[in-house]
Amino acid sequence: MNAIHFLKPELLWLLPIALLPFVSYGVKQFAFPGLEDWPKDFISSCLRWGVRALAALTLTVLMVAAAGPFTEGGTVTRVGEGAEIVVVLDRSGSMSEPLQNYDQSVNAKPISKIEASRKVLLKFMEERPADTFGVVAFNAAPISVAPLSADRELAKAAMLSAEANSSGFTALNRALAMGLDYFNNRPFTASRLVMLVSDGDAVIEPADRVILKNAFKQTRAKLIWVYVHAGAEKNILSSVIAGDNEFIPQAELQQIEINQNVAMNKLFEELEIPYQAFEVNSEAGLKHAVAEIARMTNKPTRYEYRLPRQDYAVYLYLLSMFLLGSLFWLKQIEIKAWKA
Amino acid sequence: MAQQPLIHYHVRWRPSGHQPGASHGLVAGTGDQLRSVVLLRDNPDPRRLDLRASLRDPFENIWVRDFNLNSALKVIVLVDTSASMGYVGKVNRMQVAQEISSQLALSAYRSGDAFGLYAANETINKQCMLPPKANRGAWLWVRHHFSKIKPQGQHADGLFSVVPYLPQKRCLVFLVSDFRWQAGKLKSLLKKLSHHDVVPVMLQDPTEFDELPKSGIAILRDAETGLGQFVWMREHLRTQIAEIRAQHIRSVNDASRMYGNKPFVVRGEFSSALLTEYFMERSA
Repeated sequence: MNAIHFLKPELLWLLPIALLPFVSYGVKQFAFPGLEDWPKDFISSCLRWGVRALAALTLTVLMVAAAGPFTEGGTVTRVGEGAEIVVVLDRSGSMSEPLQNYDQSVNAKPISKIEASRKVLLKFMEERPADTFGVVAFNAAPISVAPLSADRELAKAAMLSAEANSSGFTALNRALAMGLDYFNNRPFTASRLVMLVSDGDAVIEPADRVILKNAFKQTRAKLIWVYVHAGAEKNILSSVIAGDNEFIPQAELQQIEINQNVAMNKLFEELEIPYQAFEVNSEAGLKHAVAEIARMTNKPTRYEYRLPRQDYAVYLYLLSMFLLGSLFWLKQIEIKAWKA
Repeated sequence: MAQQPLIHYHVRWRPSGHQPGASHGLVAGTGDQLRSVVLLRDNPDPRRLDLRASLRDPFENIWVRDFNLNSALKVIVLVDTSASMGYVGKVNRMQVAQEISSQLALSAYRSGDAFGLYAANETINKQCMLPPKANRGAWLWVRHHFSKIKPQGQHADGLFSVVPYLPQKRCLVFLVSDFRWQAGKLKSLLKKLSHHDVVPVMLQDPTEFDELPKSGIAILRDAETGLGQFVWMREHLRTQIAEIRAQHIRSVNDASRMYGNKPFVVRGEFSSALLTEYFMERSA
């Protein structure tokens, strides 16, 4: 299929060593007064060359194995229905706050927003087996956690490991830019989605808006904002964390929050890109979102699946183990002294 | 070296020498075998006076007994020193040859016989040459010289050039070799030695035929040609080799029989008692 490459090709220069067994017999020698009437023995004469060939083969196999032969796995183009989805996951401090909880019982544990969105995203991934996922997590700076690839395990692990961590600032614009970066240098074979999972606690400077707008246009990606909805408790808590002695009416706070998010929503709409927002805080919301995304991404996807490189050293080592075993056996049955 | 009994060799022919010895000779002299009864005037030795014959003679002649001389033999050892004689298996082959030679030298001296020794591989070894003489220290000479011999050479054709050095009269010749010779070599040498009484002494080592390794692999190197042979010992090969060794002994036997001899086969260590037994069997 592919040409064989070597990890350490310089070791192949040692291959002439494999001719050593042909110089020496390697088997114990005994003087004998006369062999002219020694019986002709076919098996013995076969073994005479066989033993040396075996030793030479063992050396060759060992050296080739040491050189580490492998073939590139290559890429396979697969066709599937799905989209290329970059999940841009907000892991800012606000995401660790509990989600609005309808269960008022004592035992009910509050679930943080990031935990809930993680759950939702994993479920989403399970329901979309043909999609290609990439993950960017961000708080003060975006982190490229999992590149856009067919390796779903990687994306899942990336999501599972994303923990909220407050660092005072949410670099939404840079995270989006990085998410869009994933699409660069990739053939446009499927619908492209940037899935922003955030509670909207961020602002985008006007200068960045232009850049983002251009990037979205260039990559022809759609933006979906999965808005993790917060309840009333959150507002109270946030004021406590802030250590604010001043009483701010709930309604007012909520109003500010809503205003900010509305502003963000408006901002995305202004970007002149295909944009949709979903509020996900319930099972119904998730289903709705999935159905909507499915509708958006009905275009068949051709994606390149990169096969892992094939390493042959293991097989060669196994073979040389076997050969060494047989050589060892031959050494065991070697006659140590010429007597009965 | 354990002290071995002397070798009592015995020949059925009469040596013709005038040297007194242990065998019944051909010439008249002091002996234990009555040759004839002669007149005192022909053999003026009154000690051998035959009273009975003298009294019975009506002409009153005086008769004297005449005896065959108990004359000495000439014992000559020819040693093959080709490379195959240097084989060290269970026993050192050259050591065995030395043992045989020195025992013969000692026995020859004790029976008053002359002892000579010639060694040859591809050519005659002139450094190791003992003309047949009654020699008291011959066995020491043998020991001294054998330690200097290095067995080498691919054949023992030098033995042919030893033949002119041998006495013209009949001798007892021991031909010590392993007889790993080319076919016909032994026969032609025996033909050249046919006026002597030849005893082919065939040296064998148990590790050559019946004490071969039972199983395993090894390489055998021919002492003479240096050729290697990979061997995988197993039961089948062992029986084959035993058969070939038996065949070899048979062929030496056949060649010797054509000239009225019988080989004495030494398997491993040399035993002088066995050689005495051999002579007893031969003269029976």
